[in-house]
This record gives sequence, C-alpha cells and structure tokens, in this order.
Amino acid sequence: MRTVGDAKFGLTGQGLVGGILAIVILSLILGVAVNFPLLRRFASGEFRASFLDARKYTGIRFITLAETEDLFARKRQGAAELLFIDSRSRQDYAAGHIPGALSLPLDTVQGSGLLDFPGIQTLVIYCEGGDCQTSLSLAKILHDRGYYDIRIFEGGWEEWRAVGLPEEKWP
Amino acid sequence: MIRNRWLILLFRLILGGVFIWAGALKIVDPLGFAQSIKNYQVVSQSLAFLAAIWLPWVEVLSGAFLILGFFKRSAALLISLMLIGFIGLVALALLRGIDTSCGCFGSFSRRADLSLILGDAVLLYFALKVFFSGRPARPVDLARKQG
Repeated sequence: MRTVGDAKFGLTGQGLVGGILAIVILSLILGVAVNFPLLRRFASGEFRASFLDARKYTGIRFITLAETEDLFARKRQGAAELLFIDSRSRQDYAAGHIPGALSLPLDTVQGSGLLDFPGIQTLVIYCEGGDCQTSLSLAKILHDRGYYDIRIFEGGWEEWRAVGLPEEKWP
Repeated sequence: MIRNRWLILLFRLILGGVFIWAGALKIVDPLGFAQSIKNYQVVSQSLAFLAAIWLPWVEVLSGAFLILGFFKRSAALLISLMLIGFIGLVALALLRGIDTSCGCFGSFSRRADLSLILGDAVLLYFALKVFFSGRPARPVDLARKQG
C-alpha cells in the first residue's frame, strides 16, 4: 500500500538521514533561540559549579564545614529556629547522621504537601557529600514552599564523619 | 494488515504524546533538567547544560513529527535511540546505587528504578514497531505482492 509520495516523507534510506538531521538541527536552533539569555549567562561563567539559579533561589546558599559546625553549636545551645535536615535515604540516616537532624529523603518529599516546620527559620540541609545532589533538590523544593534561609552543607555526611564530629544512630 | 496499520497509528499517537509532554516539561525548566542530567553523574557540568537546552526540543519535535507523519521513520529512530539512552542511564544509575529522580517528566519525576526501565522498554517496542513498519518497499516485496 505504499505510494511514490512516501519517498518524499522519509521512507527511503536517504530520507531517513535527512529527517534525523532536520529534527536534530531544528531542535538545536530552537533550543538556542529559546534559551539565549541562559546561554549568555552560561558563557559569562554562571552555572559552572551548580545549576542553581541564584536569581530565582535567593534564599539558598552553600556553607562550609566550619559554618555548619557553628550552626550545630548554636542548635545545641538551644537555637529553636534552626533545623538540620538529612536528605539521604532512611537506611543511610539510620546508619548514622548529624545529631538532631530530621530525616527527609528526597523521594518522600516529592509530591507531598506536608512540609511545614513551625517556628523554624533556618534550614541546614546535607546529603552524602561529594557529588550528591539530593540536598540541593530538596532545598529548591523547600524554597518554593516559602523557606528563604536555606544553607546547604556541601561536604555532607562524609566530611562531617571524616573529622570525627558527633554522630547519632537511629532514631 | 488493516489492524496493524491502526495499531501503528496508535503507537505513533502514544509515543508522540509522551515525548511532546516530556519534552515540554523540560523546556519550561532547563536548569532543573540540567540538574537531573547531572544527578546521573555521567557527563560534565557543561555537557549537562547543553544537553538540557537541546534534548527537550529533540523530544518535542520527534514526537510532533511522529504524530504529524513527517519523517516518521527518522522520528521513530531518534525516539528509539533516546529511549535506549535513557534505559542505559537508569540501569547504570541503579547499578552504581545513585539515588536520583529520573528527571523524565520535570518536577513530576519519580525515582529511577526498574519499573521506569520497563516503561521505557515498552515505549521502545512501540518506536521500533513504527520504525520497521515504515520501511520502504523493496522491489522483491512488490514482486511478491503482485505475484
């Protein structure tokens, strides 16, 4: 049931490659055109360390181990507006975490409406460390829900543990 | 034969719809998608950024072409290749134990797991069906039909 006209619409070997090129090149043109402002920011050096849009997520910043320790000490002295959040899995949390941290695995949060921490102003979020990304993803979600003082401890659990800081096992 | 043609049309509509939807969600949030790509820890930061700008449009255009019937086989082949890539990435993430959401449907993303691979495999089957159904008729086939 094939007609001669089919050949024009990519049913021959030549049309196959032509069609692929057409889609791929058109996509590139559209992608560049639509994201031109973003590409310019990228060219000027933005988004090299993280894809966090600092203009959109003004309340998220990255902190070092020293700053995290400082906040931890304040928490221990009774700073009730501070909350440490562990974005790793429940198993990882159970095996060891920063004392007093709340377990909030990223995949349990997505799509959940229950994210209210009464009286809390500052959130300190961490994950495994190294390349882990769940702390940042969680921070964005919480920022969208109205928390504008979020600190991400980049070194994460690995760094915390490596220097022998206090740890707590489940619960 | 007629049944098969309707089936292929159905496959085209489903695949096209899924890819337009998935692509559109990523186009709205390129940085979020770039982050999702990076979560798989396979490509560099810059490559993830460029892919996030380019890939969603390949998805949308392939999906649209598949539905409209322009370059159907090219679109089906591109979609198959993308699906193979996605399956590979998710499998690799699972093997390496990377905790990540798949990033396939923007913020509706679920965790990358085995069911995601199975879903992609079904779509891949559809795409390959469409691809091979549109194969140009070889003289041999035509001769057989006439004979």
